[in-house]
Amino acid sequence: MKARLAISLASASLWHRRKVLALVCLTLTLSVTLLLGIQYLRTEVKQSFTSTISDTDLIIGARSGQLNLLLYTVFHIGDATNNIRWSTFQDLKEDSRIDWLIPISLGDSYKGFRVVGTDQGFGKHFRFGRGQPLTLASGQWFDGVFDVVLGAGVAKQLNHALDDKIILSHGGGRTSFSNHTNTPFTVTGILDATGTPVDQAVYISLQGMEAIHVGWESGIAIPGRTLTPEQAEGRDFTPGNITAVFAGLDRKILTFRVQRDLNQYSGEPLSAVLPGVALSELWRLMSQFERALFAITGFVVITSLIGLVAVLLTLQTQRAHEIAILRATGASPGLIASLYLIECLALAVVACLAALAFSALAVSMLGPWLLTNYGIQIPLRALNLDEWALLISVPLAAVVVALIPAFSAWRQSRSQGLGSGAE
Amino acid sequence: MNSQSESSVQISADRSAAIEVKDLSFRWDKHQPALTFPDLYLPQGEHLFLHGASGTGKSTFLSLLAGMLSPASGTITMLGTAIQKLGAGKRDRFRADHIGVIFQQFNLVPYLTAEANVTLPCRLSRMRNISTGQNSAAAAERLLTALAIPESHWQRKVTQLSIGQQQRIAAARALIGSPEIILADEPTSALDSDNRDRFIDLLLTLAEESNTSVLFVSHDRSLAQRFHHQIQLGEVPA
Repeated sequence: MKARLAISLASASLWHRRKVLALVCLTLTLSVTLLLGIQYLRTEVKQSFTSTISDTDLIIGARSGQLNLLLYTVFHIGDATNNIRWSTFQDLKEDSRIDWLIPISLGDSYKGFRVVGTDQGFGKHFRFGRGQPLTLASGQWFDGVFDVVLGAGVAKQLNHALDDKIILSHGGGRTSFSNHTNTPFTVTGILDATGTPVDQAVYISLQGMEAIHVGWESGIAIPGRTLTPEQAEGRDFTPGNITAVFAGLDRKILTFRVQRDLNQYSGEPLSAVLPGVALSELWRLMSQFERALFAITGFVVITSLIGLVAVLLTLQTQRAHEIAILRATGASPGLIASLYLIECLALAVVACLAALAFSALAVSMLGPWLLTNYGIQIPLRALNLDEWALLISVPLAAVVVALIPAFSAWRQSRSQGLGSGAE
Repeated sequence: MNSQSESSVQISADRSAAIEVKDLSFRWDKHQPALTFPDLYLPQGEHLFLHGASGTGKSTFLSLLAGMLSPASGTITMLGTAIQKLGAGKRDRFRADHIGVIFQQFNLVPYLTAEANVTLPCRLSRMRNISTGQNSAAAAERLLTALAIPESHWQRKVTQLSIGQQQRIAAARALIGSPEIILADEPTSALDSDNRDRFIDLLLTLAEESNTSVLFVSHDRSLAQRFHHQIQLGEVPA
């Protein structure tokens, strides 16, 4: 009976003071949203990161750091330091320890999306997530020189369908002033969504990549030297350079030996990196930052809880009459103290529920944007145990800090006489 | 501080005492002189007028009787229970079960409706809830009607009501569940004379219906004639 009375008094009192308390509750809501959001992002980004590439044993490119190589080949962030020669690629093909190779040629873009020059091996050997292959939502892999396959994100965002003609741009960037206008590409296939950077690129053959750059040797198109699709018929477009190579080995146990051999390759300076190792290094870098961010949000939550208690303590002076009445009617100091605990707990629970709704809204609204712009997939999902624990810790912390006003009210009402003390 | 009984409070052996006070003194802290209070004996169902100028310790006396402060010496026996011997929790319990309190002003919990304010004692005390026949709402409505609070005001926030109405609602709260004792601390000092007379009439009439003793504190001596007994707190003005 006492508990029911305490709860009904506390809720009436909260409602009575809703205008002041709504603001502190909002502060708490925002900070909990931040905390929950960051914890959620941590999990999702890590998941998204580790699932970007799978089954590829080595990434081989021109001599550079493993992070740089990983970033520009897999995440399409940044640029290659140098290219590798086609003859080197041929040499790699000769290596009996290597099962398959995917050549990657970068440098152009289509409306801000990377153009990846590759071969049929990309569709056949590239794996992401837990070894899932790439699948086509419609159409087929490129066959002709001027065929293009679009990533799911590109097709969706630019609203492309099969057989659309698209013009690629020279160099990166969203707006390019030099376009390969003479050589339009035809969309022959659209990939299924993967939630990886694969969605944010378009794929053409190495021959296509070579063909559109005929006459561009000086970096801009020299009129009269570029090709038209008709002129390109029957010509040989063996590339001179490619940017990088994904390699899969027959026997995984040889990975380190092959890596060492490639790092000491005599033809030209190469770097071979293990994607898993590079990914975890990248994640280690990120996690420093992410942990710091998490700690900061933790402090933000603590700050707003302290703010909440400060407000409750301020309200305490206003509540002297009300407490005096309750005491005179026979309410124990414990009941008075429990009002503060219940009110603080209720505010924290409301804040947490609102934060949950806010976060869900934010994820469902920002998720597609993150996927398009950063290739990071943040789906809306049920919270995991860690996140629930984090969320539940907020009301618990609220009860702990509410002990301050509760104890002060308890002590005051024990020593106070009848009436509000203001005789 | 002296105290003097104006009219001798009679001891009627056939009826149990609502309040019996002996050799009572109190100090706020060790370094201050003790306040002493007159002995008194109030039979159940009779009313006592306690007169005293401000600063004579009226509120302290009521706090002692209500069990919210502990005396330095002396005994307070209420309804046969020596309340100064009870622990703090038991004194709270005793107050909830047997005592109604009316203050000078700010008598009501601002976020409750008039009716919820009246039924508050029944939610804090099972005994008083049982006295209303487990139907505190009906009892509250009966008292509010008797105290001339219009029905349209029953579910209103009490802050919207006049001072006179607020004091009458406080009286209803003190009366609900028929407690044996009502302590009223200058409940009429914020009222004009018409409202004051009406308030005292209603309070005493309703108290008599349930055989409740009223201990009424005021600095206004003219009210004393309506009570069975009166005593003076502090020195008699010359």
